[in-house]
This record gives sequence, structure tokens and C-alpha cells, in this order.
Amino acid sequence: MDKIKVTGLKKSFGSNEVLKGIDMEVREGEVVCVIGPSGSGKSTFLRCLNLLEEINGGRVIVDDYDLSDKNSDINKIRENIGMVFQHFNLFPHMSVLQNIMFAPTELKKQTKEEARKQALSLLERVGLADKANAYPASLSGGQKQRVAIARALAMNPDVMLFDEPTSALDPEMVGEVLGVMQDLAREGMTMVIVTHEMGFAREVGHRVIFMDGGYIVEEGTPEEVFGNPQHERTISFLEKVL
Amino acid sequence: MRIQKKVTGLLALLIFFFSFVGSLVPSANAAEAKKTYTIGTDTTFAPFEFQDVNGDFVGIDIDLIQAIAEDQGFKVKIQSLGFNAAVQALQSGNVDGVIAGMSITDERKQTFDFSDPYFEAGPIMGVAANNDTIKSYEDLRGKRVAVKVGTEGATFAESIKDQYGFTLATFDDSSQMVDEVKAGGSVACFEDYPVLAYGIQQGNGLKIVTDKEKGGSYGFAVNKGQNQELLQMFNEGLANLKSSGEYDKIVANYLGEGDAAEGGEIGAGTTPKMSPLDLVWTSMPAFLKGMGYTLYYTIISLFFAFILGLIFGSMKVSHNKFLRGVGTVFVDLFRGIPLLILAFFVYFAIPQAFGFTMEVWAAAIIALSLNAGAYVTEIIRGGIQSIDKGQMEAARSLGVPYRTAMRKIILPQAIKVMVPSFINQMVITLKDTSIMSVIGLVELTQSGKLVIARTYDTFTVYLTLAIMYLIVITILTKIADRLERRVSRG
Repeated sequence: MDKIKVTGLKKSFGSNEVLKGIDMEVREGEVVCVIGPSGSGKSTFLRCLNLLEEINGGRVIVDDYDLSDKNSDINKIRENIGMVFQHFNLFPHMSVLQNIMFAPTELKKQTKEEARKQALSLLERVGLADKANAYPASLSGGQKQRVAIARALAMNPDVMLFDEPTSALDPEMVGEVLGVMQDLAREGMTMVIVTHEMGFAREVGHRVIFMDGGYIVEEGTPEEVFGNPQHERTISFLEKVL
Repeated sequence: MRIQKKVTGLLALLIFFFSFVGSLVPSANAAEAKKTYTIGTDTTFAPFEFQDVNGDFVGIDIDLIQAIAEDQGFKVKIQSLGFNAAVQALQSGNVDGVIAGMSITDERKQTFDFSDPYFEAGPIMGVAANNDTIKSYEDLRGKRVAVKVGTEGATFAESIKDQYGFTLATFDDSSQMVDEVKAGGSVACFEDYPVLAYGIQQGNGLKIVTDKEKGGSYGFAVNKGQNQELLQMFNEGLANLKSSGEYDKIVANYLGEGDAAEGGEIGAGTTPKMSPLDLVWTSMPAFLKGMGYTLYYTIISLFFAFILGLIFGSMKVSHNKFLRGVGTVFVDLFRGIPLLILAFFVYFAIPQAFGFTMEVWAAAIIALSLNAGAYVTEIIRGGIQSIDKGQMEAARSLGVPYRTAMRKIILPQAIKVMVPSFINQMVITLKDTSIMSVIGLVELTQSGKLVIARTYDTFTVYLTLAIMYLIVITILTKIADRLERRVSRG
């Protein structure tokens, strides 16, 4: 079953058309890695999947909800789509625990007690149980990103979006974040990951999408895209990054 | 969470303060059997009206109108506004009559109805006591001469300035005019005789070197065609007082025995000149009260400015183009109009145009709130926009609605950014209350002007006021600094 179905998606910033017609779908439990040069529109594409960017044309259906329909309750839909940002975007005025508990308690999904219990077990899962009462400012980049993942998971989403989750990290911290994401993938989470980590895409991704100039240029299994790229632009991109 | 509690507490404190000090604001007395008329007068026109050592309004005009009210069985509420403000307040209907040493002229008769003359005055020239070069009008050639706007002295000076070849500098009140002469900016001034003579008696540092000019007379004024019964009562009361000898007693009380009203010798029935320390000491109760009002108006105005700022600030960060436009217009409008003009507009122009009356304190609070509100709007907008966009996106991506995200995520962070600017605005608004003295608002600066009107000791009074403002503002900023540190610690 398709978790996400995108048809003819278009997006412009002013006169600059960034997405020129994207068609793709993500099946339940599938891990899709989106790669491509900067400016190719991959981050914008990801942000259209939870409507952080307004859609100018085409349709985006997530979990049977039509995001392109102006009447759909976007807050309700977003509860089901977790997102992890390049710059973590933790709430600096809240402790780690409060960051994770904020949305479930604010949106009345859970009582304070339930939310606390869940937050602690999520912190356990990302290996940060001892940081529950710390504030974001005292954490390393890798720790911040793991908290951000826990925060997104606290709403029990069906889909997780990752927008270059390791690009802002020091190299020695990339591993701990990718490790958490790998665990998630193993547990069957549906994930769309915009990434520069080719090794991770090859190892964890079920499917790889190569974007350039606002189009999906090529897609396939990691073996196909990395081992036997068909398109010239894919070849030249991979030559540069591998 | 903690910040929110603190803000709520602060708000509660404000409202408490508001209602408590609210009782200090002069409010109209409940209707009584006797009709009450509001009479506008000047602030600084001794011996006709001025504040005595105890802070009470006294003077020939004040005693006269009160004696007449007594005689004719009505009540008066005196509003000390300054001459110009009083005349404009009369036109706009904010006061029923004006008694302010106002000369009866043909020009004024176009707009006002005057009573029978109650005092014969005439303009006279004053020069600095240590000035030996100006002995007659001839010596004024090529020099500058100070006058007070709207006085007979001003009219007279205007009429002879071409003949004697001098230029005019116009001032809003007597003490400024006298200071101008003492400071040497102008070599002489023209003032109504009793006023100047009284001032010299008080040691204002001027002297008289010429004879008094033949002049007109002072009258009590009402708006043309309005309040005729008040005018009639004034005339009847005046006649009664003159025949009973009460009138002479009132005049003699300020100008001494003799033909005072005709411009005779000024008597010695006035207070002796005080040392600066004594002056500060005796004036301190009035100053402290004035400072209390200054703080009160500052707090009330900032409270409303904050509400305006929240409303228009959230409009300015909204995604709705129309709301953003409304916010922008509000800021541009009230940031672009000088506070002085805004105060005149709110107090004189609007009531006049729409035919209603407004209390001075209300006009002052409106003007200050709108002005500060525009700045607070910008502070709030700037604070919100200084927060990384990712914060809002992170909250929205979790399914949190815009308003909740704004309240729980953005504002708590933005407030920390805003606090220093808020403190700055508080200091500015506190100082800006002094501007409201132009519409006669009683606050610290006005209290000082009133004392200067009586004593002419500008240096001591303004030095005292400056120090008082400095002390209060320093204390407030220190408190605010401490608060800021607590807020930023979260």
C-alpha cells in the first residue's frame, strides 16, 4: 500500500520554479533516500510532503489525506508525519524532556504522566536517558539531533521525514545519528531521507531517488542507482561525491 | 511556564496599581444642587493666577472668580491649563469660561463674549536689572525683544517694532520670557504692568525703566453666544464685590494698598525671596506629588501601549496582507506624528471637530499610549522575527497550531529579546510625560513650571527636576536590569 503518493507536484518561489512536476510514491515501511546536487529541489520536495511549503500544482496524498485539498486539516495530518531538520530546531527554552513532551501534551494526545513515560523510553531508545533534564544548549550536535528524532517520534507518526539530518554535524557525530535512523528503518518505519551520506543511502535505503533541476532524474534500488547509473547527470554527480 | 506566570503576576500588579492610583485622578464631583462651571486659566500669570507655597492656586483671578461664585451661588472647578491651552479649551468646549488676565480686544470679541472689565492693565517694558544700556524704546533698535504670546504687551510691542526697529521673540509663558531677558537672548520684554511689577517684587531679576503704556482691560470670557447666564452672573457678582469693597481687598492682597488696580505702587504684601534650599524644601511635596503622577501616567500609558503593541505587532507578523497593512499604517502614523502635535490633536482638535469634551489626563494617556504603542509594536515585531524560522517550523511539523506555537514557542523566546527595548521604551515614555505639560497635565514638569511661575527661580527648579528624573529613571532601570537577568535565566 502507498503511504505517500505524489503526482505532478509543482512549486515556485516567485518566478523561480523549483519543482517542475514530481511523480513518486512511497510504500509502507519503505526507506527512500533522496540525493542530488544542492539547488536540485530535494529539500523543497521534502517540505512539500508536510506542507511546510505551499504546493502550487499537482497532488500530494499522505495516509489517504489529500494535502493539496485546501479543506483538509493540516494540523491533524502533520501529527502523523514526523520531521527532523538539518539544524535540529530544538526549543531552547525547554529541557530535553519538555521538548519531547510538548506536542503530545499540548495536543491532548497524552496526559502529562503518559507523555513523561513515553519521553523517557524514547530517550532510552536514542541513548540519551541521562540527558532528560538537560537543556539543548548543553548538548552536542549529535545529541541534539537524537533528541529531535525522539521529539518527532513522540507523536507516534506513521511517516518520518529527514531533511539532511547529518549535514550540520561534526564527522565523529554522524554515526550516532545514522545509527538511530537505521534502528528506525529496521523497525519498519516509513522514511523519506534527504541526505548526502551515500554510504548510508546504499546500506539502509530500499530505494534511491536522484533529483536534479526540479525533476526526478533517476530512481531505483541502491544497487541500480549506485552500481549502474543510467543517466549522464547521475553519473557525473556520483563521480563527484563518491 | 514560569515566564508566563510572572507575566500574569505583573499584569495583575499593574491592574491593581491602576485601580488603586485611579482614585488620585481628579474626577468630576457628583452632581450637586449648585451648578458647577469649569473655568480655564493660565498656569504662570502671577499675580492673577499662580500656585502658592502650599500648592494651592491663588491670584487675583482665582480669588475673584471664587468670590463671584460665592456671591452668585454657583460652583467653579478651576483648570490650570496655560493661556493658549485655556483659550483653545474654551473654543473646543472643554471649559465653560476663561479667566486668565485676558485683555479685551476687538479681535477676540469675534470669537468670545467678554464680561465687564474687571481689571485695568497696560503694557510696560522690563529689562534685566544689570542692564544700563536700555533706557527707552529708542535703545531697542536692532535688538531682540521678548513677549508672551497673546498678551497686551505682545500687541503693543508688535505695534511699535517697526517704528523702533527691533525684532520679537514669542514665548508661551511669563517665566520663559523673563529667563530669555535674564539670559541675554533678548534685551527687554513687554508685559502687562501688574504681572511685571509683581515679578520684580518677587526678585525675578528685571527692572522697569519706562512708564506704563495706556492699555486695555482684562475680562472674563465665554464662547460667543454660549454660557450667557454665567457671563451675567459674573457681571452681577463683580458689581456686588466692587460696591461691598471685597474687590479692593482681593486686589490689595496681591498688589498692596493704594490704586493698585490702576497701576499704582506695588505693595509689600508678597512673600520674601527664598534661598534655593528653602525653595526646594518647600516645593518638595508638590514635586513628589508631581513625580507620583508622572509615574502613574507612565505606567497606565505603557500598559495600553503594550496592549496596542501586542495587537498590531501580531498583525505585522501575520501572513495576511491586509492585517500586515493595518499594522504598518498604525506604526507609521503614530511614530510619524510628533508627540506634541498628537497631544494637541487629541486634546483640542478632535473634541472641537466632533463636539465633545475630554479631560486632560485622558487626552494625555491617549497620546502617550498611541505614541508608545507604535514603538512597542515595532519592538514586538522585531522580537518575534528575530527568532529562527526553524522554531515555528519545528512546532508546526508536530501538528501544533500557529497560535499555540506562537504563544508557547516563539513568544517566550522573543520576550527575552524584547526586554531591553521595553526598558528603553519605559524610560522614553516616562520622560515624554513632561511633554504633556503643554496641555496642562499636572505631572512633575508642570509642578516645576508652577513653582517657577511664582518664584522665577528657573535654575534651582529645573536642576531639582532634572535630578529627580535622573534618580527615578536610574532606580527603574536598575530594577528592570534585575528583572531582565531573571527572565533571561528562564
